[in-house]
Amino acid sequence: MKYFVECKILVVLFLMFALAGCAEQFVKDNSITTDSSLAIIPSWYHQNVGFQLMGANQYSGSGALVHLLQDADLAFTQLELQKCQIFLERAQRIASRDSSVYVRLSYLFWVQGKPPQAEQMARRALAVMPSDGEGKKEIQRLLAAIQNNQY
Amino acid sequence: MKKAKRSKFRIAISWLIKLSIVGVVVLAVVMAYLDAKVRDKFEGKRWALPAKVYARPLEMYPGLSLKPKYLKQELEQIGYQRVPNILTPGQYMVDGNEMDIYRRYFSLYDSDEEAARIHIRFNDDEVSGLWLDGKPVDIARLEPLLIGGIYPKHNEDRQLIQLNEVPELLVNTLVAVEDRDFYQHFGISIKGIARAMMVNMQKGGLVQGGSTLTQQLVKNFYLTRERSLKRKVTEALMSLLVELHYSKEEIIETYLNEVYLGQSGRRAIHGFGLGAQFYFGKHISQLNAPEMATLVGMVKGPSVYNPKRKPKNALARRNVVLDVMLEQGLVTDYQNKVWKKRGLGVVQYSQYQRIEYPAYLDLVRRQLRTDYNETDLTSEGLRIYTSLDPIIQRSAEQALSKRLSQLESGYKMAKKQLQGAVVVVSTQSGEVEAVVGDRNPRYFGFNRALDANRSIGSLAKPAVYLTALRGDRYHLVSPLDDGPIKVAGAGGQVWEPKNYDKKSHGVLPLYQAMARSLNQATARLGLNVGLANVVQTFKDLGVERNLPAYPSIVLGAFEMNPFDVAQMYQTIAASGFQTPLKSIRAVTTAKGELLSRYGYEVKQAVKTEPVYLLQKIMQKVVKIGTARYLNSQFEPSLNLAGKTGTSDSQRDSWFAGFSGDKLAVVWVGQDNNKSMPITGSSGALRVWAQTFKDLPLKPLYPLVTENIEEHWVNVQHNALSDKHCDGVEKLPFIKGHMPTQTSSCAQKNELKSWWNRVFE
Repeated sequence: MKYFVECKILVVLFLMFALAGCAEQFVKDNSITTDSSLAIIPSWYHQNVGFQLMGANQYSGSGALVHLLQDADLAFTQLELQKCQIFLERAQRIASRDSSVYVRLSYLFWVQGKPPQAEQMARRALAVMPSDGEGKKEIQRLLAAIQNNQY
Repeated sequence: MKKAKRSKFRIAISWLIKLSIVGVVVLAVVMAYLDAKVRDKFEGKRWALPAKVYARPLEMYPGLSLKPKYLKQELEQIGYQRVPNILTPGQYMVDGNEMDIYRRYFSLYDSDEEAARIHIRFNDDEVSGLWLDGKPVDIARLEPLLIGGIYPKHNEDRQLIQLNEVPELLVNTLVAVEDRDFYQHFGISIKGIARAMMVNMQKGGLVQGGSTLTQQLVKNFYLTRERSLKRKVTEALMSLLVELHYSKEEIIETYLNEVYLGQSGRRAIHGFGLGAQFYFGKHISQLNAPEMATLVGMVKGPSVYNPKRKPKNALARRNVVLDVMLEQGLVTDYQNKVWKKRGLGVVQYSQYQRIEYPAYLDLVRRQLRTDYNETDLTSEGLRIYTSLDPIIQRSAEQALSKRLSQLESGYKMAKKQLQGAVVVVSTQSGEVEAVVGDRNPRYFGFNRALDANRSIGSLAKPAVYLTALRGDRYHLVSPLDDGPIKVAGAGGQVWEPKNYDKKSHGVLPLYQAMARSLNQATARLGLNVGLANVVQTFKDLGVERNLPAYPSIVLGAFEMNPFDVAQMYQTIAASGFQTPLKSIRAVTTAKGELLSRYGYEVKQAVKTEPVYLLQKIMQKVVKIGTARYLNSQFEPSLNLAGKTGTSDSQRDSWFAGFSGDKLAVVWVGQDNNKSMPITGSSGALRVWAQTFKDLPLKPLYPLVTENIEEHWVNVQHNALSDKHCDGVEKLPFIKGHMPTQTSSCAQKNELKSWWNRVFE
């Protein structure tokens, strides 16, 4: 079971890494507004897998949301998935229309072997992502990946 | 004669011996029984510990909308003291726009938060800066308010303590006052009884008892308060057995946790641990000598010497105890004199003297029932962390009771005739933040928020319009006929709904029909889209009860309770994403080990686009429709949305309204289901407004997708138009579902524009 979860994490990290290239334009945005919410996600796609696992992600901006996302990511890389989920839920209460929170929740459910929940979170991420840009495409790819994996 | 006498004597002796043997056997059996009883309880689980229920911890961060007065209110509720200079945890100070809080250590289900000094800067009712122990931080939490307990039937509450936490002075004082020979006797004190008898004879009445601490413990722990010889003998025997099996330290520790120290509503305060918190807002280890004297003094008569209810008695009794302390050499003469001059120092508002929230606790209890049995909830000391927001809860409680009184006096109704309920929910997380089930919010009884099933009236209309907008035949300006309508039922009965004003309004655009809550147009629309489809929409929105596909359901002629209505409207407020309403975040054991978590769940129940259009209409309800009262009360930039509801014969007044982050459903009515001179607009809507008048709300921006486009339309003619034409409005449409005609004005403008382009 643990091997299964680890494999899934690697797949997710690989996907993040692969998506990083597509998300270059978002990384340059320093503000944590809803429009640039995906800026946080691609910034940690940028790092290599080993760096990710050490929890040393780079984030644009600051504030409560970023703080909680950093804590969530660190917990995720340490395989403390429940802790990660709690941080993300706290983030969701503060910034309920920030797609980066839902994208992370989607990954989290996916690696926990809960594709229906992962899919719903990805749908929510898609819905709150305001511009029809690369961000939406990335989430659509995530959604497709979840659906293909499961169904 | 002599022989006969001897024979009688022998018989008597023989009987005496036999009786003695029987007596010894009976005594042995009784002792064995009592011994088993003593050991069973003493060595087993001594007390049923009620589950403790906590509100949400206040999460503070720069950018948070928070009025300083609400932060102060919360601090007072959780037992923080306002001081000029902060010295210890549990204190705070205010300096203009800045506040300093010395946070106590506390434990939550996800982490422990260390004691720390929090500095907060406010700017226009918003947190603009936050420091923790001098360093700027992004986020900080305050300990959650204890909002109640789930008690066993006897309602005993206690906070267990260990003897090593108790100041020696307290134990010595207790022994000096209640049982000076405690360390010498074996459970009963002949000396004590003799002394009590002497005193009582001198005073000519029952002034002093001869019970030892062990006897008192036995009486409270194992026996009833019955005054009989049998009980007294049993008490004495059991006291001997307790002393035989357990050390003096074990006995005194059990006594300190068992003793009754007063009442707080239905809750019985037991033990010095809870007593210290309840009366002085302190941990037992932090009590000072006069406070110890007050508590010890209460043992004699918790009601008579209750420092909150009978401060004069309590003060006199405390001073008597201070004199005993002096007499026994526990304090000096100087200390005795100084401390006797002190006030009682009882805290008026500590979280252990909490305000309980019966309606919310009821919800918590019901939601826990699926995972925990009643015994676990009332005996294991579980900690239950909820999403209750004390600031919102208080505001909703005050709004309901105040508005109901105003309505009664305004409409010349009898006092206390109206009742009501409020449910406040976070639209995006589905967390229940406040529940009021009675105009008296402290009432433990019928919970109208969960159990008042009442006709929902026009609150059903959004489901009808959503059904229309989900299909491909209707858009916001589709013409609806508001003419009279009659529907014949299978049994020959005729359903003939009328508008509230008893008039017909001709043909009008769809969004106006809902904004004005027109019954005739809505009934016709409901029948046109199909009752089965309307029922399906109700289900999709989260209505779990089976609705019959009768025509009258489109006008809400069926019953729902406010909580279920909140679930239905949450789906609308969250753009079609349904989150099961929940009040509990997590449950831990008494030691803090996580048992269950109730995390965020979401399901896309309805497509975003039709809900977007519905939200736009519901914003029109506030802007131009039946809820326009909100315009005068709130900033227009909040873009509030909602729907009023008035059931048949005005028996129920409803309002369900939401901003970008909060949804509240309000019901006002009478328990006897009689008509009132009140509508949704004049009743429930006012309660809603009053609830949020002073609270921060986030603006509502309906979630727009790439399938939504806005057009200028002539709303009366159901035609696309131009912004320069008369009678036009810019409205959103789902791609491919918009008026097919173009107004003549727009055609002319198009031609003009083409002409201009040619000659420019």
